[in-house]
Amino acid sequence: MKKKILIANRGEIALRIIRAVQELGYTAAAIYEKPDNEALHIRAADEAVCIGDGPRIDYLNIDKVIAAARKVGACAIHPGYGFLAENPAFAKACEDAGLIFIGPASEVIENLGNKVIAREIMAKANIPMVPGTSNLTAGEAGTAEAVEFGRKYGYPIMLKATSGGGGRGIRRIETEAELVESIPLARSEASAAFNDDRVYLEKVVLTPKHVEVQIIADKFGTVLHLGTRDCSIQRRNQKLVEIAPSLIKDQKLLDTICRTAVVAAKAADYTNAGTVEFLVDHEMNFYFMEINTRVQVEHTVSEMITGIDIVRTQIKLAMGKKLSFSQDDVQLRGHAIEMRINAEDPQNNFMPEGGKTVSVYRSPGGYGVRLDGFVYQGYKIPEVYDSLLVKLTVHGYSWNETVDRMRRCLNNFVIAGPKTTIPFYQNLVNDQDFQNGQFNTSYLDTHAHLFEYTDQRTEVNKIARLIAEIHFRQENPYAI
Amino acid sequence: MKHIIQGMSIKEVLSTIRGADGYFITNTARDLSQSDFKNRILLHTDLLAAPAREKARYLSLEITGGASIHVDILRKQVDPFLKLKLLREKMPDTMFQTLCRGVNLFGYRPYPQNVIRQTVREFAKYVDVWRVFDFLNHIPNMEAVFEEVQAAGKILEPSICFSTGPEHTNDYYLSKVAEIIEVTGEDILLCIKNHGGLGTPKRIGSLVKAIKDKFPDLVIHYHGHNTDGNDVGRITAAVLNGAEIVDAADHAFTGYYGPPPILTVIDTLKDYDKNPATVNVEAVIETSEVLRNEREHYDYFESQFKGFSPTVQIHKLPGGAMGSSFEQAVKGGFLDQMPRILHEELPKVQIELGNWWSVTPGSQIIWTTAVSNVLGGERYGNPSGDLKNLLLGKYGPFPFYQPADWIYEKVFGPDWQDILAKEGGREEIEDIDLDQERAALTKRLGTEPTEQQLVLYLQHPNDAVEFFKFEEEFGHVHVLPPSIFLRRGGYQVGETIHFKDHYGKEHIIEIGPKQLDKNEGKWNIYLNVDHQQRIYSFQEESAAAAAAKAPEISGKEIAELAQTGDMRAPFSANVCDIKVEEGQQVKAGDTLLIMEAMKMQTPVNSEVDGTVGEIYAELGQSLKAGDKLLQIEIA
Repeated sequence: MKKKILIANRGEIALRIIRAVQELGYTAAAIYEKPDNEALHIRAADEAVCIGDGPRIDYLNIDKVIAAARKVGACAIHPGYGFLAENPAFAKACEDAGLIFIGPASEVIENLGNKVIAREIMAKANIPMVPGTSNLTAGEAGTAEAVEFGRKYGYPIMLKATSGGGGRGIRRIETEAELVESIPLARSEASAAFNDDRVYLEKVVLTPKHVEVQIIADKFGTVLHLGTRDCSIQRRNQKLVEIAPSLIKDQKLLDTICRTAVVAAKAADYTNAGTVEFLVDHEMNFYFMEINTRVQVEHTVSEMITGIDIVRTQIKLAMGKKLSFSQDDVQLRGHAIEMRINAEDPQNNFMPEGGKTVSVYRSPGGYGVRLDGFVYQGYKIPEVYDSLLVKLTVHGYSWNETVDRMRRCLNNFVIAGPKTTIPFYQNLVNDQDFQNGQFNTSYLDTHAHLFEYTDQRTEVNKIARLIAEIHFRQENPYAI
Repeated sequence: MKHIIQGMSIKEVLSTIRGADGYFITNTARDLSQSDFKNRILLHTDLLAAPAREKARYLSLEITGGASIHVDILRKQVDPFLKLKLLREKMPDTMFQTLCRGVNLFGYRPYPQNVIRQTVREFAKYVDVWRVFDFLNHIPNMEAVFEEVQAAGKILEPSICFSTGPEHTNDYYLSKVAEIIEVTGEDILLCIKNHGGLGTPKRIGSLVKAIKDKFPDLVIHYHGHNTDGNDVGRITAAVLNGAEIVDAADHAFTGYYGPPPILTVIDTLKDYDKNPATVNVEAVIETSEVLRNEREHYDYFESQFKGFSPTVQIHKLPGGAMGSSFEQAVKGGFLDQMPRILHEELPKVQIELGNWWSVTPGSQIIWTTAVSNVLGGERYGNPSGDLKNLLLGKYGPFPFYQPADWIYEKVFGPDWQDILAKEGGREEIEDIDLDQERAALTKRLGTEPTEQQLVLYLQHPNDAVEFFKFEEEFGHVHVLPPSIFLRRGGYQVGETIHFKDHYGKEHIIEIGPKQLDKNEGKWNIYLNVDHQQRIYSFQEESAAAAAAKAPEISGKEIAELAQTGDMRAPFSANVCDIKVEEGQQVKAGDTLLIMEAMKMQTPVNSEVDGTVGEIYAELGQSLKAGDKLLQIEIA
C-alpha cells in the first residue's frame, strides 16, 4: 500500500506539501475546518477529513489531528508552518502515537522554543549572541537584575516573553524608568498570552539586517546549509519580502554566517529542515537570534537558487533517509525574491480584507516565475484565517534582472475584490534603495513614499460595474 | 498672418485682432450642446473632435461654463476640470472660453464673494476667455469676476445682454458699455449677448454700429442663437457693421436653438468680401465628418419639438432653455399648454416683471412663474422663493421699472410694503468660512478634498458629493462613447464593448446573460471583463417596496398633515438645505428646509409652533410629493 501523509495545515503551505507528497508517489490526506470546506487544498489532496467547526481551534487541536491521521491510516504528519508546527507537545504526541513527525524531534523543538534554553545551548557552542539576560528572577530581584543590565549595555533594550515568538510578546524599552514600569506589565501579558510569565532582556541591535540560513540535517549527523536569505523588509516583525541570497557583498562573512548556522544546528542536535536567524549590524557583526524549527514561508527563495526541493527533502529525511547530496553539491545560482501578496490594505495599516470575494484572479507566468497560492476567482477570503493569498517568487541571473522580473509580474497580476499588497510592492520594486539592495529592518519606517499610490488596477472593474448596473436596470439614469 | 494662441496676453490678442484682415470665429460647442442637446454632448465626443477643431484655428472654443459644469457632474459624470485638462492635451493652441453668470457663477443664485473669487481663480488655470454677464445688466454683479479674470492675466469678455422692446434702445446699451469700460478699461472683448436670438439683422447691425461709432477701438464679439432660423442674417449684419468676432458651431451637430453652422456664416460673408482671418475651412469640414456618426447617439436629448421657433420673438426664451423647457412640459404632462404658456403667459409675465433679459437665472424665474400661473390657476398664487428674492431686489435693481404693486401684494400679502422696506435691496452675501466648508466636505468624503473638489462642492454641494462618490465607485467613465454611456434599455447579450481606460489601458467587456437567483432574490449579471468572467449581483426590487416608495397622497392631504406637524414634501424635489435640528423649537412660518426642483428653490415652512422631532429627509435626497420630511411635536 502507498504511504499516506497527513498535512496538518491549510492554505498555500498545505498545497505546497500535497504537491511534494504526490510527487513522491505517496497519498496526501488533508484536514480542514468547516470554514475551509471550499478550500483548494481539499480539492488537491487525495482525501480529506473535516476535523470540526473551527475556526482555528481545530487546526490547533492535537487530539483531533492525531485522530484524523489514525482515521485515514497516515504514517506521517507534515505540520507546515504556524498552527501546531512548533508545538513540542504535538511532535511528542506524534511520536507517542507512532506517527512520523516531519520535523525535528520534540525535545529539540522544546529546547529551541524556549529562548533562554536556546541561548544557553548557543552560548556553549560559542555562537555570537546579542547581549542578554537569562530569565529574570521573579519580583523585585528580577527588576534589580534588569536595571543592572540596562546600566551595563545601555538603551534601547528588548523585553521579551520567554515563550513568545513570531514577533509577539516583545516590547522595546527606551529608559530605565520605562523598564521598571514595564516588567510587571510584560509578565501579566505573557501570562495571559502564553500561560508563562517569564521574561528576559536583550540589547537592541539598531536597524540591523535580518539574515537567516536554511539548514537541512539528516538523522545520521550530516548538517548542510542552503545559503542565506535576507528578510529585512518587515512590518512590525512580520516579514513581507524575502530574498536569497543575502546581498551583503562580503562573501567571507556570509560563509562564516552559514558555517556558524551549521554549528548552531549541530549544537542543538537538529534534524530535518530549519532556519537559523541572525541579526547583522552596521559594522557587520552578526548575532544569533533563534532557530525556527519548521519549514519557513520563505523557503521558496532558497529552493529557487539551489534547485533543492526542501519539502521533498524534509519528507525523505523524516522517513529515515540519508541526505543524498553534500555541501559541495549545494551551488547557489542567481537571485530570488519572494513577495507575500496579502489581502490587506497597506494604506490602512495593512488592515486585512477578510470577507471580500476575489472577483478576478489573473496571475503572471513565464520564465523564472513561481506561484504558491490557493485562491481562485470566486474565493471568499475568510475573516478567521490569515490574509496571505499567494506567494510570488521570481528567479533571475542577476539581482537587477530579478527585480525587473518581479516588476513585470506585479504589473501583470490582477486581483480584484480585496485590496492587496500588490500596489505597495509595485512602489517597492521601483524604489532606488531596494534596487540597490540597500535595506534593513527600518526600511518601511524610512520609506513612507511606498504607501503613496492610487489604485489604477480596479478602473476597468469600476466601469464594468456601471455597465452591469445599466444593463440590470434596463434604464440608464445617466441618459434621462 | 499671426495666429492667436492660448497663453497670449489681452494686449497681444487685441492687437492681433485689430491688425487682422478679416473676422474671427468662436466655436460655441458648449452652447450648442446646451441649446440643442440638453448639455449632454460627452467629453468623449469633444475629444474625438479635438484634433480637427485645433487645426481649424478658431479664436476660441467655448467648451465650459453656463449650465455645463452642473450637468458635467450631475449627468455626464465627468470632472469639469479634468475635461479641460484632457482637451488641453489634444488642443495645445486653441483658447478655451467659458460663460460665467457673474455673481451667480455657473449656478442660479448669488454666491459669496470669496466663493466667486476662489472659483474663478481655480478655473482661470484652464480657461483663457471669460464671457461674463448678468441677467439684469447690473455691472456691480460682475465686478468680482472681472477683477479675478484680469488678475489671472486672462482675456475678459464682459457682456451686455440684448433684448427687444421699447426700453431696449441703443442709448441704453451705450450707457451700459460705458459703465463696463469704466470698471474694466478698454482692454477687453465686448460681447453682445443675444441669447434669445432676438431682433432682426437690421437691429443688430444698428446696435453694433452705434457702439463702434462711440467706442471705435472696442473689439466686439457678437453672440447669437438661431432659434428663429435667422442668426446668419444677424451675424452678417454684425460683421458688416464692424463686429470682429462671431459665434457659430459645427454643422454636424447644429440644431434649432443653438448657434448656426460655421460654414454657412463663412460662405454668406464671403459674398460681401468678408473672410475669416484664420479659419481653416477644410478642418471645419473634417470636424463635422468626425462628429456626424456620433449624433445619432444623442437623439434622445434633442428637442421634443422639431423645427425652428420664430415665435421666440414673442416668448423670448433663451436658446439654452428651449430644449429643457419642452422636456419639462413633456415630463410634467403639460405639453398641450405650451402654446398658451409661450405665446400668452410668458410675454405677459415678461412685461409685468420688468422686461429685462430672459436669461439665467431670470429666464427660469419668468418660466416657472408663467408655468405656475397657467397650471396653478391663480396668477402669482404660488410664488417661488426666487421670485420673491427678485421682487425684493436681491439680484439687483430693476433696470427699467419695478413690477406693479398688485404683484407685490399677491406675492407678499397686505404687508408687502413693510417687507420690501425691511428686506429689500441687493443681497450682500457674507463670505462663508472656506475652512469650515473644506472640513464639511472632508467629513462627507472621508478624505481631504483637492482645491478643485472644494470649488465644485461650493457650486453644487450635494451634486458634487454624489459625483465624487460616483467616480470612486465607477471610475472615469468619460472613456465610454455615447453609444454605451447613453444607452437606454440595456445592452445586447454577446455585445462587446472596447475602450481604453483613463490610464491608457485597453479593455474588452462582453455582455453576458442576466439570471434571477430566486432563492436569494437577486439578479446576477454576467460580464466577461478582459476575458475573465465576473458576476454582479443586484437585489430584485419587490413590488411592495416600490409601492412604499411612492405614497398616493394629494396636495390637500399634505396640507392637512402639515397642520398636525407631519411635514411632507409638497412636490417632487431634492432636499437642498435642512435648516433645523432635532429638538429645536420652531414657530409657525419658520423655514424648516428648502426643496429644489427645476433649479428653483422653495422653502418649506412650519405650519405650527412646536419642537422638531425626527428628521427623515436627508440632504441631497430626491423625494416624491408626500414623502415624509420631518415631524414637529406641537407645543
